[in-house]
Amino acid sequence: MKSYEVKIAKEKLLPEAGIVKAPSPNGEQESMITGCWRVLRPVIDHEKCTMCRSCWIFCPDQAIEVKGEEMAVKLKYCKGCGICANVCPVGAIERVPELDFEGGVVRLEKLF
Amino acid sequence: MGTKKFLTGLGATATAVKMADVDVITSFPIRPYTGVMMILSQMVANGELDAEFIHADGEHAQLSISHGASAAGARTFTGSSGVGVTYAFETYSPISGGRCPVQMLIADRTLDPPGDFGSEHTDALGCRDQGWIMGWAETPQEVFDNTLIYYRVGEDPRVRLPQFNCHDGYFVSHIPGDVEIPEQSQVDEFLPPYRPVDPLDPQNPLGHGPQIFPDQGPALEAMRHNAMMAAMPVIEEAIDDFGRIFGRKYAPFVEEFMTDDAELVFFINGAHAHTARYAIKHLRERGIKVGLVKIRFIRPWPTDVLQESLSRFKAVGVVETNSSFGIARGGGILAPEVCGSLYDVPQRPLIASFMGGLGGEPITLKEFDFIAEKLKKIAESGKIEKPVYWLGFEE
Amino acid sequence: MATQKVEKTKVDRIRSLAKAPMDDYYVSGHRTCAGCGPAINYRMVAKAAGKDTIFVGPTGCMYVANTSYLCVPWAVPWIHAQITNAGGIGSGISAAYEARIRKGKYKGKFPNVIVMAGDGGSSDIGLQALSGAMYRNHDLLFISYDNEAYANTGIQVSPTTPYGARTTFTPPGPVVPEGKKLWPKDLAKLIVGGHPSVAYVATASIGYPIDLMNKVRKALNVEGAAFMHIHAPCPKGWGFPADKAIEIARLAVQTGMWTMWEYENDEYKINIQPKKLKPVSQYLEAQDRFSHLTAEHKAKIQNFVNHKLAMLGIKVPVEAVTA
Repeated sequence: MKSYEVKIAKEKLLPEAGIVKAPSPNGEQESMITGCWRVLRPVIDHEKCTMCRSCWIFCPDQAIEVKGEEMAVKLKYCKGCGICANVCPVGAIERVPELDFEGGVVRLEKLF
Repeated sequence: MGTKKFLTGLGATATAVKMADVDVITSFPIRPYTGVMMILSQMVANGELDAEFIHADGEHAQLSISHGASAAGARTFTGSSGVGVTYAFETYSPISGGRCPVQMLIADRTLDPPGDFGSEHTDALGCRDQGWIMGWAETPQEVFDNTLIYYRVGEDPRVRLPQFNCHDGYFVSHIPGDVEIPEQSQVDEFLPPYRPVDPLDPQNPLGHGPQIFPDQGPALEAMRHNAMMAAMPVIEEAIDDFGRIFGRKYAPFVEEFMTDDAELVFFINGAHAHTARYAIKHLRERGIKVGLVKIRFIRPWPTDVLQESLSRFKAVGVVETNSSFGIARGGGILAPEVCGSLYDVPQRPLIASFMGGLGGEPITLKEFDFIAEKLKKIAESGKIEKPVYWLGFEE
Repeated sequence: MATQKVEKTKVDRIRSLAKAPMDDYYVSGHRTCAGCGPAINYRMVAKAAGKDTIFVGPTGCMYVANTSYLCVPWAVPWIHAQITNAGGIGSGISAAYEARIRKGKYKGKFPNVIVMAGDGGSSDIGLQALSGAMYRNHDLLFISYDNEAYANTGIQVSPTTPYGARTTFTPPGPVVPEGKKLWPKDLAKLIVGGHPSVAYVATASIGYPIDLMNKVRKALNVEGAAFMHIHAPCPKGWGFPADKAIEIARLAVQTGMWTMWEYENDEYKINIQPKKLKPVSQYLEAQDRFSHLTAEHKAKIQNFVNHKLAMLGIKVPVEAVTA
């Protein structure tokens, strides 16, 4: 029987049925890095912070972490929405323009 | 070694489904396929079959539930007829694209309007491009056998495709015939338990069906195409094994009848092949060298086998129990595929199609006489004057 | 559908934020808008449900924005469903596990099956599949995350879009000054009203995470089908700044535009009910989608809310409008 099979170059092969591996718990989906969207960066004043975790629970991007005795922002993914600053009951999070930081986000690094 | 039972196509299907130890069955009533679900629900009620028997909220839901169940690792069975088949249309491509080997019985029924119970293949053939394996059975025995063969082929890790297991409504679904029921051990040998490749399972978390970039589309489509092509050798293997285990030997794709010296052939899928065999015997008595080519699989379409087979004859009459209004050559769905298969062959026959059995009418011996006569004229004159004849309307 | 019940695991109540599960199963790296309400909802639900979960994600924002491209942000199994058939796919997964565990074909726990459908995929084109799943009482939790529009296609009206909202299919104009003219479907009531097998129905809001997560856990602990309707404000669709989703969510509850209740054992239980309600105009005026409304329209909405609360047996006064 003649073969009607399409030869697909290795680099063009995709996972069969488009079924992909899930990221690990508390991990990240590196195919969609979103830190480059940010215009205002959340900056935590650790003196004021009471570790109440409001910013943590309300973050749509899992971009605020409880790191030992401190809250920390995962800048690689934080889109800069500002919800964390808004829900903070003690005003410990300030939103600072990216351009004020050395190496701050100044443009979209890739399309999405 | 097994027993013999007098079963309808639906009874044969239900028996095979039970012996295949199906896990999830999704039902919704529509004639004529309904009977298979009545039998299966009784089997579940009696404790003869341990399966989830689900009353779906329509055919779209039948297929959706089957999709979820198959993706979660269950062997699933569903079925429908006529407009029920088309109501579920949205779900077919996601199921084959998700590479879920759902099996669906289609006992053909004419599409509306107006309401008509009779068999016509347009319901199933309308879904032929959705990435499902598809073929027709002629007798209850072939229905039983196909049910097992389709599961085996569709679940093969080289294939992973759903299957439309079709037979004509009433002619096959409701008319009983002898069916050899094998031993369970034979079925188990032929059809191993379903081993899902990438099931939805918290022990191995996977994402099924994320969005893609347009440039990722071609590869996924090519891979689904390759799966369908891979089904061809797998079908041959399965048919070989089937013959060895059950003692019934099928031609994998194309069955021929009285073709050794034939100049003319009827090309048919499904139940009308049964009448054609009788017609051929009568026509042969009158000296007309006619035979039958019955196609067992429409998808994957056996191009090469047909090239080899049909190029031996002078004229081929494609019997079309379906309609496609405005299609190439103005006939049914099969003739353009037959013509397309033979285009590359230098020695090709003349091909005409014959629209018959529409609305569930039987195709009579007289009508087969008519087809043979037209084919004879075509063969003698060496040309096609009319590519399509509508049986019962033309002299 | 189960004839013989397979064993299901139970999860505990969450007492406070400090005791909330640390682990996330909806992780960083998705294309939802900055400040997305439905994304906050997804994260809380995934957190409450934990690792033994399978998500069903019909087409909608939470499909398109989360899975682009050829990747997923869920650390648990997830499957795409059509916008029409999430209830069906979920039913099938649940049925498959019932059969496979009962027949000894799967060695492992019965998973939490959670359908996460948008308001369109649950109250409109997906309603039949939802109703079927509830009626048949499959062991699953169906969540309708309600951002009150078909948002992924560009904010078109859905049955849960409030009266008076501007969407791209209900633009206000001289002939249709109010924009959307119809009153919204009450999906949770629809489930309660006609699905006697469903043992647990609840509404929740992303503004109240402990309540939300505990309701998810309660719903998962129930044997059979459960339903939750979760209010998830959409900054892009509703026209409010990206940092305001939580304020808007809470304002909806504080004005009675969204009510928080549970239904179990044939009874409604009202949760998180303020002693005094703020006037709905405060909620409406915080969003651009209502910016075209006149005082007359706002009064109609206030009446609608008053009536809705009365039907639920909530009798609290509305504060006077201070303008």
